[in-house]
Amino acid sequence: MKIIQVKCPNCGQAIYQKTKDEMFLCQNCGTIHYRDDKGPHRVPFEVAPPNPNSGGQRFYMPFWRLRCDFHIRSRDVQGGLLHKLATTLRGGDNGGNLYIFVPAAELDTTTFRRLAVALTTSPPQYPVRQDFGGIERVPTAIGQDEAIEMADFVAVTLEAEKPGTLQYLDYELKVLEAKLIYLPMVSTPSGPWLAI
Amino acid sequence: MGDITVGLNCPACGGAITIAEGESVVNCQYCGSTLYAEGDKGVQTIAFKNKLDERTAIGAAQAWWGKGFKARDLKRTGAVTECYPIYIPFWDIRTRVAGWVCGYEERTRSDSKGNTKTERIYKEEMVLMDLAYSEIACDPGDLGLRSLRNFSGESTFEDLDMIPTFESTTSRDDADAHARSDAIARGRSSAHVPHITFENLHALVKRTSMIYYPIWVVRYTYQDRMYLLTVDGVTGQVLSGRAPGDPLFQSLAVTAGTSIGGLAAAGGVLFTINTGSEFGIAGVILGFIILGATYVFFRHGSEIIQGDFADRKKGPDMRQLGNIGKMIGGAYR
Repeated sequence: MKIIQVKCPNCGQAIYQKTKDEMFLCQNCGTIHYRDDKGPHRVPFEVAPPNPNSGGQRFYMPFWRLRCDFHIRSRDVQGGLLHKLATTLRGGDNGGNLYIFVPAAELDTTTFRRLAVALTTSPPQYPVRQDFGGIERVPTAIGQDEAIEMADFVAVTLEAEKPGTLQYLDYELKVLEAKLIYLPMVSTPSGPWLAI
Repeated sequence: MGDITVGLNCPACGGAITIAEGESVVNCQYCGSTLYAEGDKGVQTIAFKNKLDERTAIGAAQAWWGKGFKARDLKRTGAVTECYPIYIPFWDIRTRVAGWVCGYEERTRSDSKGNTKTERIYKEEMVLMDLAYSEIACDPGDLGLRSLRNFSGESTFEDLDMIPTFESTTSRDDADAHARSDAIARGRSSAHVPHITFENLHALVKRTSMIYYPIWVVRYTYQDRMYLLTVDGVTGQVLSGRAPGDPLFQSLAVTAGTSIGGLAAAGGVLFTINTGSEFGIAGVILGFIILGATYVFFRHGSEIIQGDFADRKKGPDMRQLGNIGKMIGGAYR
């Protein structure tokens, strides 16, 4: 095992972080990169500004936002007749283009599921910026490749969340683009909540 | 799970730093530099510090001789002929399994009139959990070791120069594939869906480490026969081994098992013939289960075996025995 000092691949500045975050943020030029056995890799990212009226302790949580093409070929759901009827009247529900949000922080399974489903079904709208305004980031624990695999899990979760009991699903999911998104959150007794 | 720390120095200021096993980022407490641990092609190598000496390893072996149904005079007449430490490499792989298992469970109910009704309960179960997997990274020969049970301890590379070390002979890709398969199987099992109609499980390898683990090999003789056992060099527990069994106990147990099993089976047959009631089939099934259990417990003869030896299958599977009983019951009916 060899220990190296982490330096920014863009400007060469040494990185000083308080947390053990594998997404290294350069305080000099604002570049974020991660490292693996092939070397450093820059990561495209964007930051959403926090709601100034949100109370409580604020922090930034990383998410992988994956632009996907999700196409359902067939499904079998037991129960949920009213939902099925409403869907049929609306002209069916066979997927389409969507943004899937995969939480990239280390979260318990309940919070992971809640945030993934909530953000994917209602993607947040915000003015994009590149700085964190002095607010701390939660370390990233899930890499891009893992997030792309997890997109499949989130897509099926969306179907399973619908009324009725899912028994079969035949679908195709293509990830067209991946980006690291930092969303402002506040700590609450029931877990982290979005503070946009 | 993992609680291993490795002592290193900061390349920026030279200060002593510690990094936990499996972690790749650490911040120097002296100069604040963020540091990254580069592994060998992404695999971190850790060596546990050996905590035993020859005397304590032999003491652990002798304590093991006195446990269970081993020969009663083993502790008195067993003689250690050889005792030495070796380092054995293990893959330590952390995975996350995520997905859905859908299907149904069938429950059969009977009413007071004897009518039975099978109800189908539909299920959709989410699987999302982190798992640890380990497997030996070399050919262990007849040591009876296949996986690592302890993941906590102090790490050092100092002992590697003094203690013989087995070289890793298995590939990381194979180990990762085994860890993924294990994660999928455990995820599927955790869902508890008996009849699966749809399954979508993803196993992600989060971290792969190579752990060199100290093992003490103890060879001993009993009545001119050679036996071998291994002792965990960190915890002092016996990991695997063979020992002579107690012939008197095994004779009594086999006699009792076959007698009770035979009586239960014969009693069940007689009860069914005399009364015409199907309840007698339960006696036949019970008898065969007892016979099967007796065979499973004592099929190795007079030798007591602990550990992952090729000739030692997993423990008695009562469900499997129950299924055999059902088959017999079905055939009889």
